[in-house]
Amino acid sequence: MAVTEMQSGQVGRSLPRRESTAKVTGRADYVHNLRLPGMLHIKVFRSSIAHGRIKRLDVSAAKRLAGVHSVITSDDVRKLIPEPYFGPAFHDQPILAIDKVRHIGEPVAVVLATDPHVAEEGVALIQAEYDELPGVYDEVAGATATTYVHDVLKPAGTFPDLKHLQGKKNTNIALDYQLRRGDVEAAFAKADHVFEHTFRTQQVMHVPLEPMVSAAEPTPSGLTIYTASQSPSFVRIEIARLLGWPENKVRVKVPHLGGGFGAKLYIKLEALVAALALITQRPVKLSQTMEEQFFTISKHATTFKIKSGVTKDGKIVARRCDVWWNGGAYADIGPRVTQKSGFTAAGPYDIENVHLDSFAVYTTRPPAGALRGFGIPQLVWAYESHTDLIARALDIDPVAIRRKNILREGRPQATGTKMKDAAIEQVLERLAARMNWDRPFDRGTGTVKRGRGVGIGFKAVIAPTTSVAIVNVYADGSCSLYCSTVDMGQGSDTIMTQIVADVLNLPIERVSMVHPDTDVTPYDMATLGSRSTFHMGNAVKLAAEDAKGKLEALAKEVGLPAGANVPVGEIFKKKYGMQAGNVVGSGSFIPSYKSPDHATGMTDNATPFWMIGGTGAEVEIDTETGDMKVLRIVNVADCGTPINPRIVDTQLSGGAVMQLGFTLTEEMQFENGQLRNPTLADYKIPGMRDMPAAMENEAVSARQHDGPFGAKGVGESATFGVSPAIANAIHDAVGVRLTELPITPERLFRALAVANGKPLKD
Amino acid sequence: MSNTSRLVNFTLNGRPVSARVDMHHTLVEMLRTQFDLFGARESCAQGLCGCCTVLVDGQAVSGCLYFAALVDGATIETVEHLGASDRLDPVQQAFIECGAFQCGFCTPGFILMTKQLLDENPNPTEDEIRHYLSGNLCRCGAYPEIIAAVKSAAAKRRATA
Amino acid sequence: MTPFELAEPRTLSEALALLDPNDTSVRALGGGTALMLMMKPGFLKPKRLVSLGKIGDLSAFRLSPDGSLRIGAMTRLAALERSAEVAKAFPVIAHTLRTLSNRRVRNVATIGGHVAHADPHTDLPPVLIALDATIEIAGPAGQRKIPAEALATGYLETSLKSNELVTAIAIPPQGGKRSIYVKVTTRAADDWPALGIAISLDAQDRTVKTARIVVSAATEKPTRLASAEALLNGRQASDASIREAARAAAAEAAIVTDMQGSAAYKRHLLEVHLNRALGGLLGARRGA
Repeated sequence: MAVTEMQSGQVGRSLPRRESTAKVTGRADYVHNLRLPGMLHIKVFRSSIAHGRIKRLDVSAAKRLAGVHSVITSDDVRKLIPEPYFGPAFHDQPILAIDKVRHIGEPVAVVLATDPHVAEEGVALIQAEYDELPGVYDEVAGATATTYVHDVLKPAGTFPDLKHLQGKKNTNIALDYQLRRGDVEAAFAKADHVFEHTFRTQQVMHVPLEPMVSAAEPTPSGLTIYTASQSPSFVRIEIARLLGWPENKVRVKVPHLGGGFGAKLYIKLEALVAALALITQRPVKLSQTMEEQFFTISKHATTFKIKSGVTKDGKIVARRCDVWWNGGAYADIGPRVTQKSGFTAAGPYDIENVHLDSFAVYTTRPPAGALRGFGIPQLVWAYESHTDLIARALDIDPVAIRRKNILREGRPQATGTKMKDAAIEQVLERLAARMNWDRPFDRGTGTVKRGRGVGIGFKAVIAPTTSVAIVNVYADGSCSLYCSTVDMGQGSDTIMTQIVADVLNLPIERVSMVHPDTDVTPYDMATLGSRSTFHMGNAVKLAAEDAKGKLEALAKEVGLPAGANVPVGEIFKKKYGMQAGNVVGSGSFIPSYKSPDHATGMTDNATPFWMIGGTGAEVEIDTETGDMKVLRIVNVADCGTPINPRIVDTQLSGGAVMQLGFTLTEEMQFENGQLRNPTLADYKIPGMRDMPAAMENEAVSARQHDGPFGAKGVGESATFGVSPAIANAIHDAVGVRLTELPITPERLFRALAVANGKPLKD
Repeated sequence: MSNTSRLVNFTLNGRPVSARVDMHHTLVEMLRTQFDLFGARESCAQGLCGCCTVLVDGQAVSGCLYFAALVDGATIETVEHLGASDRLDPVQQAFIECGAFQCGFCTPGFILMTKQLLDENPNPTEDEIRHYLSGNLCRCGAYPEIIAAVKSAAAKRRATA
Repeated sequence: MTPFELAEPRTLSEALALLDPNDTSVRALGGGTALMLMMKPGFLKPKRLVSLGKIGDLSAFRLSPDGSLRIGAMTRLAALERSAEVAKAFPVIAHTLRTLSNRRVRNVATIGGHVAHADPHTDLPPVLIALDATIEIAGPAGQRKIPAEALATGYLETSLKSNELVTAIAIPPQGGKRSIYVKVTTRAADDWPALGIAISLDAQDRTVKTARIVVSAATEKPTRLASAEALLNGRQASDASIREAARAAAAEAAIVTDMQGSAAYKRHLLEVHLNRALGGLLGARRGA
């Protein structure tokens, strides 16, 4: 990959992941593997309809089944937790359904047994009757529908800008973010051209291969929760809140995750296992099947109406964006997706007049939440497809029109925040160069056509958020890093210890990692949104520097000359008379941030750093069938200066591969409220034969001035541009425009058939 | 003994063992709950992802679609049998060097399938690699690195052959 | 899954005796992959499974000097795939197996189970029909043989009684016949077929003596396309007649809409792919 590797210290080196041997020998630890003595397995009885009131719930046969320990419903939960509602933005999600079900597959009751097969049999014996209510499935219709998913809104108080929604009734709109800059209507009136398009994306699921899993165990000091979670600190705080306990009575432990991608965030199974552990006074474990994941959390389907006023030579002077987010039955982190993505919905372009409305809409689908990209891929799909359509209409080269409008360093973007350390131009130029954009491209003759396209997007990071780290130096100079960042495969264990090793001038083997354990590792907001390299990286660096400073002070205290290269062990021996003692350094980091104005959405400090990602695609289309091969994918990103270039490279290609699935093959398909394809048999994620023949990744030469060693996040950057790059390449090849995802061979063929005046007759 | 369970005697990672299993228990379930071998994992439950790959009589099978009761008399090998305590198998080594995993959940399955592929075909083309491994899924998207690791492992094995 | 009894008879007659014509909760067990896919979500809760794995002879396959191939029902698909002599005598079988499910499934799944399951979205049944294979069946009344196309009667339905078993598949020598299997997937590359086309032509250059053309996956069962065959039989093929045959096939086939595509689209794919496949086999120029 094109990046210069620094050879001094550990930072900048492509060290192998520290858990490599464990992973290749099958010995890495996952909650999936956890067994606790006396443990009860939990199986869930789920709603068979999308929306309705629970008329009757009969668990008697299940209770009588030999081997069943207990059957629990919301009545039992409410004896322990009178208000058993959770959620990071709204306290709207019940631990088990109360009176009403709001989506297909919603948990209604649970069966516990030491034999999971018996628990499953028990679930099959539960009977429920519902008074069905009309379903609400579409995000645009849902915004104005008079069937309400929730009788009343219950904001959690974690978001100050949701306070005004407290107690609101008769709405499915959980959040409306708006941004007003300049005067779009006046600009549209004056513009040479006005273009308007609507784009849609589908509901998809993260599909981590380790399905969601949590366990809980009552202990003498309270409760321990073992969970595959990206947010152990949040779990502790939220469970303590639900139980009315102090934080220090809830312990949350997280080993490695078998994939996360945003699925394993906030509260998923943790409230349920916590309640069940306390009700039964036994260790309990809920290990979801792959199928159950589809009923638990997903990615927002969206509708994006985008309208641009453009001069005749392609300068965008005004843009209006209306975005509807299909949040499903429970808000989860949807309101934050809606709001934060709103900052950048107009695109990485220098536009004077911007009008944006972004709606988080409740519907009766399984809940949507955070998924790699956090709303940005859906937006980039729309605005980069739209940009290409404008270019074609005005007969301007697609890269040239982007050059004309791209946001440059120091310019204010839509919120008013000035772009800083944002190498958008460089990403665009490197993308064009790698795509050989200036050279002619053979589009083929005959029935097989080829095309190429690009898409570039950017993202603001969630702010303000806090990370705290501790470095514990031992008497022989080796040390441990205590850090609540969760390694779900993105390599955080490795890069965080590289930072410590670099600051303390240690070989990497002398730095070990203590995995998240809220009794030991300090607070971290969560591992999400590509925030960890910057926030936790800075905290870790500060903690290591703090430890270093303390070691220097200790050396001075024991009379060693300053600057003397004394081994750390010697310092301890002098202090304690033997190999004994610790030096503990800590560091905490919260960036500066200014909340946007509620009415205008404007702020001059919208984000501590920008993520930028561009993708180029070359495709080949069999026009007789609609079958398409992706020949080549090029990913270019600005992630500052990589701490581990090899890991950055794999984050870029991994993100693009995932987004390829969302672009071409994945869709949660509903019919009459039923989810038809909640398994990998019919929900197809990319396999090895779906990979393009060629894939290249590049992190441009850049530096985040206040990131640790110049670094910033990268986990999502290669998801931004993939979908529009492919749609743009298709348009380049065959002149048809697809405005909905996924782009399947059938959809492409039908579009071709319509364009040829011979639509497919059904 | 009830006729919905049985005692199975088999060889597991080179050692003779026995286990009592119910007829409806799967191979991957037995390995995890009775032998503490966690390298094979049930993920898709449909034999499509390869996370539950186990070798039965030298052939890779989906452990989640194999009845434990049918392993009587068989030779079973899991990823834990690969390499030695001080020395990794060349396939494992290649996976590390090429960075061919991220979360690692699918990794044992890929490693066992790669070993099978190279046992049968010591010098596979990229097309042959893609076809052989088409039934192993990696959601983290490490496919390019995995292909590189397979090629590297093939070279390592040829060098020491 | 729920508890069941497992029987492992050592002879065919023992196995047959354990099956009950009136009790569908007793099922034969071949490789088990397809069966377990139905048992795990609870679609099937058999109280007894009769494993055929210990019956000698059922898992052998033999290529005879005359070029015919007889495959015991318990032959693992991977065993066929690995056989160099099967690949030489029946390259279409080797080609089909290469993308049939995945390697692990092929290591376990048996050919008898594969055809008896009658899932339309499978690859071998249409090929066997095109090759004019015969299915050998054993039941309490004795042995019988049926042409391969008489086995599947609908979605997961066969003409077998619940106390009958497929024991072997016999494929006649192919002489100089040309055959091909086209697998069309519409989702990920690794998938069950959305549409399958199996063709076997007895032809001299471009003159077709007899054509056997089978559509599968997009139909409830693999089906011969008689109208297309009739347009080719006994004639010299031309680009035009091939196109006509493909059109006739698309019009005749009972294509269904399902998770892998609409009937209209799959009908179109049938026409395009059949046109190409016939053109390839007959050396004609591809229809432009």
